[in-house]
Amino acid sequence: MNLKPTLFVFMALAFCFTTLAWTDDEAPAGPKYGDTPAEYVPFGKFTKPYKEFFLEPLEYTGYGRRIPEPKGLKTVRIGFIGPIESTVSVATGGMSHEEPLGVQMLQGARLAIEKANAAGGYRGQMPFELMVHNDNGLWGASGSEIIDMAYNEKCWAVLGTIDGANSHIAIRVALKCEIPVMNTGDTDPTFIETNIPWVFRCVTDDRQMCYLLADYVFKELGLTRVAALRAGNRYGRMSIDEFRDAAKRLGYPFLAELQYPVGSDDMRPQLKRLQVINPEAIITYGDARESALLLKQMREMGMEQWLIGSDRMVTDEFYEIAGDAVLQGKVAAGYPFDPTRDDPKWLQFREEFQNKFNAIPGHFAAHSYDGMNMLIDAITQAGLNRALVRDQLTKIKTYHGVTGQKVFDAVYTNRSPATLALLENGTFQIYTQDEIFD
Amino acid sequence: MSGRIASLGFILAASILIAANADEAALAGEPFVYTQWETFYAQENGLPNDHIFSLKADGDRLWVGTENGLACYENGQWKSWTEADGLPWRVVSGIAVSKKTGDVWLGLFGGGVARFSAGRFDHFHQLNSGLVNDVVYGVTIIEDELWVATTAGTSRYNTVSGEWEIYTEKNAPMEEIWCYSIDSDPENKMVYIAVWGGGILEYDMESGRWTDHHDPDGEMEIDLYRDDGLIHIITTSVSFTEKVMWASTYFGLSRYDGRHWRGYMDHDSGLRSNFINFAKGRGANACYNCTDKGFSVLVDFESDAWVSYYKESEDAKQWTAKIQVGANEIHSRPIDLDLPNHHAIVCEFQGDDVWLGTGHGLARGKGVGYWPGLQKKTALAQPEKVEEGETP
Repeated sequence: MNLKPTLFVFMALAFCFTTLAWTDDEAPAGPKYGDTPAEYVPFGKFTKPYKEFFLEPLEYTGYGRRIPEPKGLKTVRIGFIGPIESTVSVATGGMSHEEPLGVQMLQGARLAIEKANAAGGYRGQMPFELMVHNDNGLWGASGSEIIDMAYNEKCWAVLGTIDGANSHIAIRVALKCEIPVMNTGDTDPTFIETNIPWVFRCVTDDRQMCYLLADYVFKELGLTRVAALRAGNRYGRMSIDEFRDAAKRLGYPFLAELQYPVGSDDMRPQLKRLQVINPEAIITYGDARESALLLKQMREMGMEQWLIGSDRMVTDEFYEIAGDAVLQGKVAAGYPFDPTRDDPKWLQFREEFQNKFNAIPGHFAAHSYDGMNMLIDAITQAGLNRALVRDQLTKIKTYHGVTGQKVFDAVYTNRSPATLALLENGTFQIYTQDEIFD
Repeated sequence: MSGRIASLGFILAASILIAANADEAALAGEPFVYTQWETFYAQENGLPNDHIFSLKADGDRLWVGTENGLACYENGQWKSWTEADGLPWRVVSGIAVSKKTGDVWLGLFGGGVARFSAGRFDHFHQLNSGLVNDVVYGVTIIEDELWVATTAGTSRYNTVSGEWEIYTEKNAPMEEIWCYSIDSDPENKMVYIAVWGGGILEYDMESGRWTDHHDPDGEMEIDLYRDDGLIHIITTSVSFTEKVMWASTYFGLSRYDGRHWRGYMDHDSGLRSNFINFAKGRGANACYNCTDKGFSVLVDFESDAWVSYYKESEDAKQWTAKIQVGANEIHSRPIDLDLPNHHAIVCEFQGDDVWLGTGHGLARGKGVGYWPGLQKKTALAQPEKVEEGETP
C-alpha cells in the first residue's frame, strides 16, 4: 500500500474535524419520530441511538401491482372488523368491553358507505359493499377474520379494529395476505411501529395524547407525585407507556403502578394503597366504565387528587356511572380531535349521524367515517388492485375529514395534535393545545 | 473540546484505514456466488400458485407451500395438491417432515394444521384439537413432537399419544403471544420461537425451561447500541445451527453465539434491506436472508463478506449479484436469474443448492462447485477439464 496518499487523507480528515466539528449542544436535532418533544426522546439526555426507525416511508416491493383487475364483479367489497357483538370473554363476564365503541365505529363506516353509494358507488359502475365481521377477541380470532375477508370475501381493503392485541394480529395477517388495513380506533402507539407497509391509521394515538397529558400534568399543573392505577389488560399496559416514560424522563417517575382486572367493580383495595403514598394525581388507562368507577370511589374515599385518563373516559357512559363525582372536576383526559369546531364538514356529519342513528357521534364513529372515506377514495382512484390501493393511501399526506385536518407521517399514521378534555361543571370541555398552554 | 474533536478525527481516519485494509484482506478470498439459476412458475411448470410461502427439503424432494396449494418437486417432476384434492385450506405457510414416520406436517395460514400421509390429509384445527389458533405461521418437529407457531401462541402435539399442550403468556415468558416463526435443534431437543413483539424464546424440552431474548433498549423507535442484543422486539424468524442463533426482524438481522450478539442493518452490512421476511442459517458463519429488496447472504461471519442477489431496477430483466465486505461493495456481476420480483419470502437448502421463494415464482440456485465461506482467489481458477487418458 502506498502510504503517501493515505497520510494526506488522514491529515485532511484531522483538519476537517478540528475546524468544522460541532459541539454536542450544536448538533443538528433532526426530525423525531412521532413528533416527540426533545425532553421525551428515549435516552435523549445520554446518547444518540445507533439507529432511529420510522423516519423513512415504508415501501412495498412485492408483485401485487401486476395482478390484473378481476372481471364480473357486482360489488366492491370493503371489510369491517370491530367489537360489535357480545363475546364469551370470561374476563368481562361475557360482555365485550369495547362493544359500545365498536358499534359506533360500524355506524360511522356504514354512513360513509351509504353516502358513497348514493353518489354512484365505485366509479359509477357498482356499489360498495361493507363486509361486517365481529372482533370476537378470543384466541386471536381477528386473524381468521382478516383471512376470511382477504381470501373468501375478496375485499379490497379492511377497516378495523379497536383492541390493541387484536389489531396487531390483524395487521400481521394482512401483511401476508397483502391487503390494506385502515385503523380508526386503536390508539396503541406500537400498532404502527411494526414496519408493515400495508397499515394506515387516521386517529391520533396515545403517544400524542400521553405527551399532551404529561405536559399538562407536570408543566401546566406543576405536579410531581403521580401514581398509576390502570386496567390490567394490554390497553392499560401499552397505552400508558409514553406517559410513564415522559414522567421518568422529566424526573418524576410513578410513585406506584397498580392494576385492576378488566370488568372490575371495586378499586378500593388499590386506592387504599395509593392513599398511603398520597400522590397528587392518579393516571388511569381503561374503559369508560372502570374509569368512572375509579373516579366515583376516589371521591367517596375522600381522595381529591387529579384523575388523569384516556379518551375512553369522554363518553356518556362515564357520566352515568361516575354520577355526582363528575361535579367535583379535577379530571383530565386526552382526546384525539376537537369536536367543538365549527367546521361545516364536522357539523354536517354530526347532523347526518344524529338523524340516522339518533345519537351524537363520538370519536370512534367520526374517525371510522373518515377512515372509510379514505379507503373509498383510494379504491376509486387506484382501481381494483390491493397494492395500488395501498400506494394511493400512502400518497395521502394530509386529509381534511370530519375530525379535522389529519397529517400523516412516514409510517402512515396520523400525527395531528391531540386535544385535552377537562371535566368542568359535570361535562368534559375540549381544549386545543394552544388554548391550554397559552 | 478541540482535543476531543481531534481525537475523534484521528479515530475516524484510523478506522477508515483499518476498514480499507480489512476489505483488501477479504479480497484475498472469494465467496461462492450462485450464478446458475432455474425458475419455476405456476403456468409454465407444476406449481399450483406463484406466491410462495414455505419450503422444505426432504432428501431429494422439495415441498413447496403456496398461497393456493401444496407442491412437491422430485426427480424433475412436480406434483401438486389443492383444496380440490383434499388439502384442508389453500394457504400453506409452514412445512415439516417427520424423520421418524415420513409424515409431512403442514401449517395452514388460517386453516390449522394438516398431516399429509399415505396420500391422505388429516386436519387439525381449533375446534377438533388442542391447536391454539388456526392462523399458523410455522411448524417444526422433534421426534414425536410437532410444534406449531400460531398467531395466538404455540401449540405442541405429541403425535404418538395425541396429547396437546398450549403455550401462551399464561405459562411461557411471552410478552405477546404472536408467534411468527419456529425452528428446532433436534439433537439438543431445543425449540426456538420468533415472537412478534416478544423477541426470541428458547425452550429446552429436557428441562422444560424457557429462555427469552429481548431488545435491551426496550424502545420500538430506536436501536440504542449496535451489538447490545436482539435488534428489535418485532422478530420475524429464527434459525439455529451450529450453536448459533440467527434472528430476523423488520429492522435488521441479529446473530447470537450464546455469549455475544452481532447486529446487521442495511447501512452497516451487505443486507439489501432491514425488512427481512425470513432468515436461515447455513452454519455458524453463514446466513441467508429473504428481504423485501432481494436475497442477502452473509457468507462469512469472520470477514463480514456478503453476496446479495437482487434486481437493479424494476425493469431489469436479469438479477445482479453484489459482493460486499460490510457495507463496502467489492464487485457486482449479472447472473442468469430472471424472477420478475425480488421480494424474497422464504429460502431452503438442498445439498449445495439453494431454493428461493418469492411473491411471484420459485428459483433454484445450482451449487455447482459450491464452497462454504471464502475460498482463496488462487483456488478459484477453474481447473482444466482433463479427459481420462489425456495429458494436461
